[in-house]
Amino acid sequence: MSVLLILVPLAAVLIMNLPLHKLMRKLAFWVGLVLCMLQAVLIIRMPIGFWNTQPDLLYRLLLFRPFTDNLAFVMFLSIAIVGFVSLLVARYAIENDGSKLFNFTNLLLLAMAGMNGLVVSRDLFSLYVFLEVSAVASFILIAFNNGKDALEGTFKYLVLSAVATAMILSAIGLLMTVTGSVSFKTLSSVMGPNSGNPVVLLAVALLLGGLFIKSGLVPFHGWVPDAYSSAPSATSILLAGIVTKTTGVYALIRVVTKMNLLTHQVQVLVMAVAAVSIVVGALAALGQSDFKRMLAYSSISQVGYIILGLGIGSNLALAGAVFHLFNHAIFKSLLFVNAAAVEKQTGTRNMDILGGISDKMPVTGFTSVIAFLSTAGIPPLSGFWSKLIIIIAAWKAGFHVYALIAILASLLTLAYFLSMQRRVFFGKLASGFEDLKEANLWILVPACLLAAITIGLGLCIPWLLNSFLLPIRSIL
Amino acid sequence: MDNELIVFLLVCIPLAGSFLLPLVRLISEETRNLTALLLVLASLVASLFMMPVVLTGETVTVQLAGVNLFYADKLAVFMAFVSSLVGSIIVLYSFGYISHYEHRDEYYFMVVLFLGAMMGLIFSRNLLALYLFWEITAIACWRLIGFFRDRNYVVKADKAFLVTVFGALMMLLGFIMIGTQTGSFDIGIIKKVLAGKHLPNIAVMLILLGILSKSATVPLHTWLPDAGVAPSPVTALLHAAVLVKIGVYVYARLFVASFDIDEIWHTIVPIIAGVSALVSAGAALVETDLKRIIAYSTISQLGFIFLGLAIGNNIGIVGGLLYILMHSIAKGGLFLCAGIVEQNAKTKDITRLGGLISVMPITAISFILCAFSVMGIPPFGGFFGKYMVIAGALSGDKMFIAMLFLVGAFMTIIYLFRVFVMIFLGESKLSLQNIREGSNVMVFSVALLAMLSVASGIFIKFPFDFVQSAVRQMTGGLL
Repeated sequence: MSVLLILVPLAAVLIMNLPLHKLMRKLAFWVGLVLCMLQAVLIIRMPIGFWNTQPDLLYRLLLFRPFTDNLAFVMFLSIAIVGFVSLLVARYAIENDGSKLFNFTNLLLLAMAGMNGLVVSRDLFSLYVFLEVSAVASFILIAFNNGKDALEGTFKYLVLSAVATAMILSAIGLLMTVTGSVSFKTLSSVMGPNSGNPVVLLAVALLLGGLFIKSGLVPFHGWVPDAYSSAPSATSILLAGIVTKTTGVYALIRVVTKMNLLTHQVQVLVMAVAAVSIVVGALAALGQSDFKRMLAYSSISQVGYIILGLGIGSNLALAGAVFHLFNHAIFKSLLFVNAAAVEKQTGTRNMDILGGISDKMPVTGFTSVIAFLSTAGIPPLSGFWSKLIIIIAAWKAGFHVYALIAILASLLTLAYFLSMQRRVFFGKLASGFEDLKEANLWILVPACLLAAITIGLGLCIPWLLNSFLLPIRSIL
Repeated sequence: MDNELIVFLLVCIPLAGSFLLPLVRLISEETRNLTALLLVLASLVASLFMMPVVLTGETVTVQLAGVNLFYADKLAVFMAFVSSLVGSIIVLYSFGYISHYEHRDEYYFMVVLFLGAMMGLIFSRNLLALYLFWEITAIACWRLIGFFRDRNYVVKADKAFLVTVFGALMMLLGFIMIGTQTGSFDIGIIKKVLAGKHLPNIAVMLILLGILSKSATVPLHTWLPDAGVAPSPVTALLHAAVLVKIGVYVYARLFVASFDIDEIWHTIVPIIAGVSALVSAGAALVETDLKRIIAYSTISQLGFIFLGLAIGNNIGIVGGLLYILMHSIAKGGLFLCAGIVEQNAKTKDITRLGGLISVMPITAISFILCAFSVMGIPPFGGFFGKYMVIAGALSGDKMFIAMLFLVGAFMTIIYLFRVFVMIFLGESKLSLQNIREGSNVMVFSVALLAMLSVASGIFIKFPFDFVQSAVRQMTGGLL
């Protein structure tokens, strides 16, 4: 029934936009919240068999049969949580402008439908279509406030996305001519005998390149800092937390594992790109003084870890990668929530002006500490475990140098976040902020929710590891 | 009660209880302070309960989710007793010291969390659990060192965090090496799989980096003097009683009690320790900041503990463990005395102080008693520890290293006398009129530590017997 996760948000958007009653526009925000919650609850409550059944009628209507596994579960859950948080933050940041909130909700639901579809695609072409759906929605979301910076950020994202799309689409075309099909199933069995075929090699290169751009990996990361930092706070959360992770990273994981792409050359390429992203992202983050820009660079670095896990390719590594993807959705959203609170309450995100504001904003300060410790991989928070799994897997597979890079980059992560803490939260209150107040509940609730997930997951890991994370590979 | 349950509670009461402290604050300030003290005392009482149990030679393993999580033997109980004893006195002292600063909730939260993590670390039987608690102590340290929130102080807190995390990450890599080689992170299982073989030298080196960074040994020591910007009870907790003992404890736990390491480390580690002891003693001789002097002294004394543990014979190990106890008590006392001086005289610069014995006699006497113990003057507790460490070096035919440490011991006497004379004797350069003795709990705490320093020397039989049987258990290889 996972097709419902695509159809229901789409239907909601359609119905809410019918000119029936004024009340519809007011209720839109709540409908969005309920849909996100429903998705999260259903994913947790319903067994996998439920999601993989589909009435014949629906198939005949849509000609689309979704495919759900544990990995898809993780993604659905992340999408629901981040969507929920993003909506609440939108309510906080936009306040009482009803029509803006209405537009935001619509676009968010559209992006959600796109992402949910991408997650369950079983062929390359549907993956591409859903990728475009969520990308288009996110272009508008970034430019939401029509600011000059935001338009610039959108434009960069748009141009690079167009390049990526062209690459992916040509790859699909080339693969189609060689194999006559775009379904992962056919592609996976045909890739082996054709591995020497230059057309196939070109197609693989184009495909990987396009998805690297979408994931924002170094050296294709140019759009990431601008798009993340210039977007409205709620959009940054959505974008950093889940959109790039689904359209780029998840798609990459799916394509590489489903199509058995991980030959030696691809592995070397993927791991090199990952290691460079980890280090360059962290080093660049060290030099930032804009709160959200720092978080954007941090995102690049963390995506590197996920891709590193993909590149190692063992069961353990993939489990670690998927777990880190989920963790990243949680802790990076939390950091962007904190950034949203700071920006709204103080009117700036320049860290050189701020200082010591956790005295005035204790909840925001505390949750930011939890989030950054999790990002830096300090136990017992959940981020530690996913990094640990990836590093153990790297060591086991014999990639000692990569394990060393991954470990030492944690120190860099810690370094830039400590500088962020020192300049924003921890320290003497900077002058001019004596009347600062803590943000309201619209933002404290999501912040506490995300912090609770980070702590809770970290403490429950011995139970999770064997029952949920390790089986992921067997189904992939 | 179940022994497993006692060990479990010993760790979890302070660890989980610390999170309740900010909530208890809603009742009243005093209730929160008392709760904090009770949480730490719970660990002390539990470790006292465990003493007769482990003395019979029994060991206790606590399982959680199918993993051997905690393990209690004589070494662990001894260490838990030392840390919770000094920790309790420091929390008591904080009642007076911290009462007129802001962020008191965070202070008690972090101190109790820190002690809880320390207990967890002591009893960990799993290398990953050990690493986990190790990092929790680092987080608590970071907040506590930056407690006063000045920009400079926070920078120093960041430095301490980064240096110790660097070491810890290297150690983690070492753990991962061992874990992938043997297929488990459980110390007991690893020992069985290794079956008397040496640990790989690279893994030992990586783990040593972690140990040396936490126990502030040259060349990874620079964060420790800088961390003196923390409130004095915190410096006592970090530099004297608990934090820096983590490294030496893990050394004892892994390389003495559990795994065999290559013979060469029994020379390399004492040499590092010797260099560390001399360099930092030299630094202590020229410093003029009271707390920095005592901090350098800590680095120097840690060298003695490392020497004892690493020299590779039982006399040395007994000496090293005894000196952990004696040094914790005495150095804790010195830092707390420094706190009283600093708070009342409003300066830490020893060149500007003098003649304070006339206005704060109890503090002065406590200071000199604790100093005697650190100097190693008989019959104070420190003497026995130092004596046995050096005797261990001699019986291991390491004449040169023993000489090195004798010089270090001599320098200790000089710089501690220098500090005492400059602060408490002679003419004051400040007006003494406004300087008074510290508050009652503070003076009581330092006097208690001074009395313990004396008593531990006079009644040396009890700790000595316990430590001796612990060492027999460790080298007998029960785990």
